[in-house]
Amino acid sequence: MKFSYNWIHELVEGLEASPADLTRLITIKTAECEGVEAAGAHFAQVVAARILEVEAIPGSHNRRAVADAGPLGRRTVVCGAPNCRAGIVTAYVPAGVFLEGREIGRRVVDGVESDGMLASGSELGINRDHEGILELDAEPGVPLPHIVPDHIIEVDNKSLTHRPDLWGHYGMAREAAAITGKRLLDPVRLERIPPGAAAVKVTIEDFQLCPRYSALVFENVTVRPSPLWLQYRLEAIGLNSINNIVDVTNYVMAELAQPMHAFDADKLSGDTIFVRNAREGERITALNGEAYDLTAASLVIADGSGPIAIAGVIGGLDSAISDSTTRLVLESANFHAANIRRTSSRLKLRTDASMRFEKSQDPVNTARGLARAVELLEMVSPGIRLTGGMADLAAPARTPAPITLPMDWLMRKLGRPIESAEVRSILESLMFGVSETSPGVFSVSVPSWRATKDISIKDDLVEEIGRMVGYATITPTAPVVPTKPPPDNPRRRFHRAVRQAVAAQGFHEVYNYSFLSEEDVRRFGLAPADHVAVANPISVDQALLRRTLIPGIWKNIRENSKHFDQFRLFEVGVEIHKREGGLPDEVPHLAAAIYERTKEAGPFYEVKRLAECLMPGCEPRPGSARMFEHPFRAADIVWRGETVGRLFEFHPDFVEGRAVVLDVDLARMEALAPVEKRYQPVRRFPGSAFDLSVIAPRRALAGDLRKQLASFAGPQLESIVYLRQYEGSPLPDDAKSVSFRLTVAATDRTLSSEEVGATRDAIIEGMRGLGYEMRV
Amino acid sequence: MLESQLQNLAASAGERILAAASPEQLEAVRVEVLGRKGAIAEFSKGMGKLTAEDRARAGRLLNSVKNELEAALEARRKRFADEALQARLDAEWIDVTLPAPGPRPGTLHPLTQIQQELEDLFTSMGVAVLDGPEVESEYNNFDALNIPPDHPARDMQDTFWLGEGLCLRTHTSPVQVRGMAKLGPPLRMIAPGRVFRNEEVDASHEHTFYQLEGMMVDRDVSIANMLYFMKTLLSHVFGREVTVRLRPGYFPFVEPGFELDIQCLICGGAGCAVCKQSGWVELLPCGLVHPNVLRQGGIDPEQWGGFAFGLGLTRLVMMRYGIDDIRHLQGGDLRFLRQF
Ligand SMILES: [Zn+2]
Repeated sequence: MKFSYNWIHELVEGLEASPADLTRLITIKTAECEGVEAAGAHFAQVVAARILEVEAIPGSHNRRAVADAGPLGRRTVVCGAPNCRAGIVTAYVPAGVFLEGREIGRRVVDGVESDGMLASGSELGINRDHEGILELDAEPGVPLPHIVPDHIIEVDNKSLTHRPDLWGHYGMAREAAAITGKRLLDPVRLERIPPGAAAVKVTIEDFQLCPRYSALVFENVTVRPSPLWLQYRLEAIGLNSINNIVDVTNYVMAELAQPMHAFDADKLSGDTIFVRNAREGERITALNGEAYDLTAASLVIADGSGPIAIAGVIGGLDSAISDSTTRLVLESANFHAANIRRTSSRLKLRTDASMRFEKSQDPVNTARGLARAVELLEMVSPGIRLTGGMADLAAPARTPAPITLPMDWLMRKLGRPIESAEVRSILESLMFGVSETSPGVFSVSVPSWRATKDISIKDDLVEEIGRMVGYATITPTAPVVPTKPPPDNPRRRFHRAVRQAVAAQGFHEVYNYSFLSEEDVRRFGLAPADHVAVANPISVDQALLRRTLIPGIWKNIRENSKHFDQFRLFEVGVEIHKREGGLPDEVPHLAAAIYERTKEAGPFYEVKRLAECLMPGCEPRPGSARMFEHPFRAADIVWRGETVGRLFEFHPDFVEGRAVVLDVDLARMEALAPVEKRYQPVRRFPGSAFDLSVIAPRRALAGDLRKQLASFAGPQLESIVYLRQYEGSPLPDDAKSVSFRLTVAATDRTLSSEEVGATRDAIIEGMRGLGYEMRV
Repeated sequence: MLESQLQNLAASAGERILAAASPEQLEAVRVEVLGRKGAIAEFSKGMGKLTAEDRARAGRLLNSVKNELEAALEARRKRFADEALQARLDAEWIDVTLPAPGPRPGTLHPLTQIQQELEDLFTSMGVAVLDGPEVESEYNNFDALNIPPDHPARDMQDTFWLGEGLCLRTHTSPVQVRGMAKLGPPLRMIAPGRVFRNEEVDASHEHTFYQLEGMMVDRDVSIANMLYFMKTLLSHVFGREVTVRLRPGYFPFVEPGFELDIQCLICGGAGCAVCKQSGWVELLPCGLVHPNVLRQGGIDPEQWGGFAFGLGLTRLVMMRYGIDDIRHLQGGDLRFLRQF
């Protein structure tokens, strides 16, 4: 929202704060200003000038004009405007003035030296008319009438969300007056609304949706362009000048935050305005030229034949003010905030009006808006006359109960002492009603423009007092709290340990998005329908929530393999699994990968080592591979009897080179992680070691052989360690020899060589019983 | 006569010991001189013919020669051993500048690092670290935080909707409600985590970023307490004393609500490009917990009060490391990530 400093200045008597100071004060005490910029600084130098003569420049569409700029003398300029003609008074911009960021110079155009320029309303920032130069009613040499340099303060709309009153200059002026201790000047004279019966009837179907509807009827209206000062004022804050009537409604909105709408009275059918819900199937062509299909949820303003406006959002085209309008109905109403918001979001139509109404405007403001409009219309449409009094239909006024504000409570919230008198004076400066019901307890009544939504409880008053007294006056104070260790979060500790361990093994942590595309999930053999889907994704490739980290890791591998021959990376993130009714399951996972460009063996065992570091004693159990896995390099990771993850190499169709991934369900891993450790006595007697080799089929699993050997070794087995395996001559083609070193020992004695031999024989016997040939 | 023979023997043996060029030659000399059939042994055999008196004198002489030669042998042996060791060591020269095998240490993502650092800081201040889901109910994300449906404040956070009353959480604030229900008053908690906004991505905007929610609820919690807490926190985060200021900010779940600014660390408040000449940098929203939110958490606002804040971890990481493009953080590019 843009605020004109001049406008605020007009409404605050004797305001001395400079634009920059006011901006800073508003930021600190009221709402966030995004900046303040000089606007129309050139109006200090632009003057009216009468064109004395105009002559064509051969071979150019431009013409040479000589203008009388009063005390500046006669100036020759080159001008291309079609309306440049002798006799008119226009705006002359002397050389050296900056216009739209560019310095106006003295330069030769089409062979003629042009000294300054004649300007259009658009070039001067008065309106958007760039068809021709301005035509003024002024004496040559004087500044443009009522048009002076201004400053525009831009306030962040978000910080005005709770302040319906600040959507107009008067509201901001009220803040400025309270902040600076100056007097606020009310531009509204309610007595401008004459008493008497209204010339238009109004019916309201649902007072909740329309708490108040006020209207006036005018006749003898002249529709024409607004005076330049009015155009300039609107243009400066980003509102487009349309015509004098519409401009007045916008002016009142920008001043009082009360949106208004003017209907051409002669285009309405019947003498009653109906405020009602739209009927299914009703349709309206709005002022913006678009047709809207309405539903019963939308509130409309209707005449005898149908909708003439979408209430609080936009007017209809058919009843709009036109050059031929002579009678008008001026609407100033109040609508239910949520309903307006719903309608405007459904129609995807946000207007200056809907933006204000959705903030819960003050119903008291409707009549004030009309009163102000009466005055302005008389200025811009001479001869205009009111017909009858004000139509005004309203729900019974709701006066909220005063808020009880105990001083001691207030001071505890602020964390600083404050005098009752200061509290009273602050609240009164913001026009709250204050009475002290008992010592140290105030009863505070809230002004209507703050009572719609903004302020209803005593906590809201803490802000009013805090910001006005200044938060800088509050001394940071340590809270008095018991010192005790906080509740533990074992899950976070566990995840941290995992991250630390993985990084220690050389892996770099990545963060991937939670979003995947349908293509992403199909590529990994998953059905899009099994995913939680985003109803309003930014783009189709971010429409599903990931239920596996693998596609993200895969992309990381592909991208980084463009720059590195080998690398290690990992992610800890949540898989999101759809669940009927309720929040999805969010399962924390670790996905770690090693990539090597090689065609050689690849990093499978390096990744397996990571699994073993994280989960000592875990075992891969080969299982059928998923479509993106190497069919013979994929296994479940089983730890403490449970499957906790997957270890696999990417299928060569997916990755050029070799990439091996460990994917672990961290929730399961965490559940298995705690182990109570018990001390085992250190064996005092030395063990005896011997090596055994098993001749086994080539694809027999060393892990299985190891277990089988161990099972025959009995309780004396201290350790069994894989040594090596061998394939080739003299073994048959489909066989391999796998060697292990076994150590046996007893707790109470050194085993005799006979005992060791017996154990060894038992193992060999056992293995042979299973059909293995043993090399001994 | 005997003595002179012995002295000759000693002299020539001594010379040969010194002349031995290898441990083998030295051993040969030892065998010849001191061996069982060596010169000394031969010599002592000849001593039988001597008178007792001469024999005693020759014996002493012999012993002294023997000791002398053994010492010379030992010295020579040691010399060879020293030389051999020296040669071995010399042969074992290695190029210490060759790279060590095995992987280099990996790195934790900068967001992980800053998050862990803050978790540690808060834990040391007696604050619990809580978690919340990335997918939230619309109710927890908005309604429970005093943002009912059709409230214009919903515009402040463009939301990814998932249907069935679910959305991707737009802030970590829903964990306030979860935390109050879980811990009950009094409580001190933080909740770092991933949040989502439906925004186009560019160098300074992300649809996925990280926040750290903080909340304290106790009997009497004032704006002054909140200021102290934030100042302490931020001084730690930035590693130096920071000056903070509060100004009004609107967030429906706090009342009063604030934007907390810190005095620009680049210019110290004088005004520069980073702070847009204002001397202040907007850092985080905070405020006293709205009574409606306390009620949602089952806490009686007449008995308890609190403050809450939301720290932007992503922004903090970017400030700390001077990262100029937010997209790096979730780009998965090791050329970027290896730097941390
Ligand atoms: Zn600065």
